[in-house]
Amino acid sequence: MSIVEVRGLCKKYPEFTLDNVSFSLDKGRITGFIGRNGAGKTTTIKSMLNLVHPDAGEVSYFGMPLAGNEAEIKTRIGYSTGTLNYYPRKKLKDLIAVTKLFYPNWDEDAAREYAELFKLDLNKTPLELSEGMKVKCNLLLAMSHGAEVLILDEPTSGLDPFSRDELLDVFLQLRDHGVAILYSTHITSDLEKCADDILYIRNGKIVSSAERGRFIETMGQPGETLEEIMLRSEREARNG
Amino acid sequence: MGNMLKKEMKLSASILSYLFIAFGFMTLIPGYPILCGAFFTTLGLFQTFQSMRENNDTVYSALLPVPKRDVVRGRYAFVVFIEMCSFAIMAVMTLLRMTVLSGSTVYRVNALMNANLVFLGFALLIFGCFNSVFVGGFYKTAYSFGKPFVSHIIAAFVIIFIAEALHHVPGLEALNAFGFDHIGLQLIILLACAAAFAVLTVLSMKRAERNFERIDL
Repeated sequence: MSIVEVRGLCKKYPEFTLDNVSFSLDKGRITGFIGRNGAGKTTTIKSMLNLVHPDAGEVSYFGMPLAGNEAEIKTRIGYSTGTLNYYPRKKLKDLIAVTKLFYPNWDEDAAREYAELFKLDLNKTPLELSEGMKVKCNLLLAMSHGAEVLILDEPTSGLDPFSRDELLDVFLQLRDHGVAILYSTHITSDLEKCADDILYIRNGKIVSSAERGRFIETMGQPGETLEEIMLRSEREARNG
Repeated sequence: MGNMLKKEMKLSASILSYLFIAFGFMTLIPGYPILCGAFFTTLGLFQTFQSMRENNDTVYSALLPVPKRDVVRGRYAFVVFIEMCSFAIMAVMTLLRMTVLSGSTVYRVNALMNANLVFLGFALLIFGCFNSVFVGGFYKTAYSFGKPFVSHIIAAFVIIFIAEALHHVPGLEALNAFGFDHIGLQLIILLACAAAFAVLTVLSMKRAERNFERIDL
């Protein structure tokens, strides 16, 4: 069942155009969002969060358009745009204390569990954290209010392999609880482990949006991994 | 909205914004252009905008589950809150000068503006100018505040200059009334300036909401 619908997103920049991006996210499924740097992943995600205003197209969650329902929708979704890049000198516990004011469904137990799982010292400031730990803190904020949809821009970048593995396990648990997850990544081996669907974008256009097995079947050649499919596909596109 | 104001006070506000409220006490300084107290309060508020930009607050706020217009409204609510705190101090100090201190020689022998309801009105005009010129100007980009602040400094000092000069114009001496002299005129000017403050602030906030909605973050 689709709980997020993205239809015909277009955004023109001088050097880049997001061209008619459409896809949907289903309840209880993990979608890996792949593409080269500058392909349009972050612009798409920012458009889905109303941080960037598309020239055309619409985004709806739970059957409601984002425009006009932003506050209600944002309490029901979690999102992380990379690392924690704000208030570097505030203690994490103070940041969390303020952030949770805005979520009536904030789950204190879940926040504590994620803090323990991620080994986050809440008395530290973002300035004292490694990039990986900042990502984890952002994920704690995104996942501690019972979100039904998680939209994560490169959540595993900067994480060590063990932390990444732990995070993927968390994603799988959330998926089993019916959460829809969209996350962009360049680590395609992670997608082999947990993604149900693959969304592939190139030069602002969606090349493929399909169930992972079907994506490999239609885009790949026998024996190719996701990374090999992407590499070959990009080379073919570059060489015309 | 209440949560946005709490967020402003706990996370975004520079301590200087609170400390500079105390410039309201400058109302008591004899032989001093006391309207500068209102300007210094806005200088304290400027520190919050600096701190907010350094801390990437705009992106943090835009990601919160509130309509983008509430981000702007929260900021205006904080600004007006600080202004009203400073105004409350100025009002109490002005009442002191209008009553128990009204006969004091240091205040009577003073070429500069006297503390009365006209002074309070002009203080509100300076706050309205800050809200309109600086805060409204800031939200054209949600990033750049140098030009809006220079514009505010110029506008604020033009208001101070006019306020200080006006009562020296023949026929307008009543603007510098002591105590409750010409209280009707004093009240009319205070109310007119309060109305101007409200109009400048609300119009600026509406324009800022529209501008912030359009900005790509």
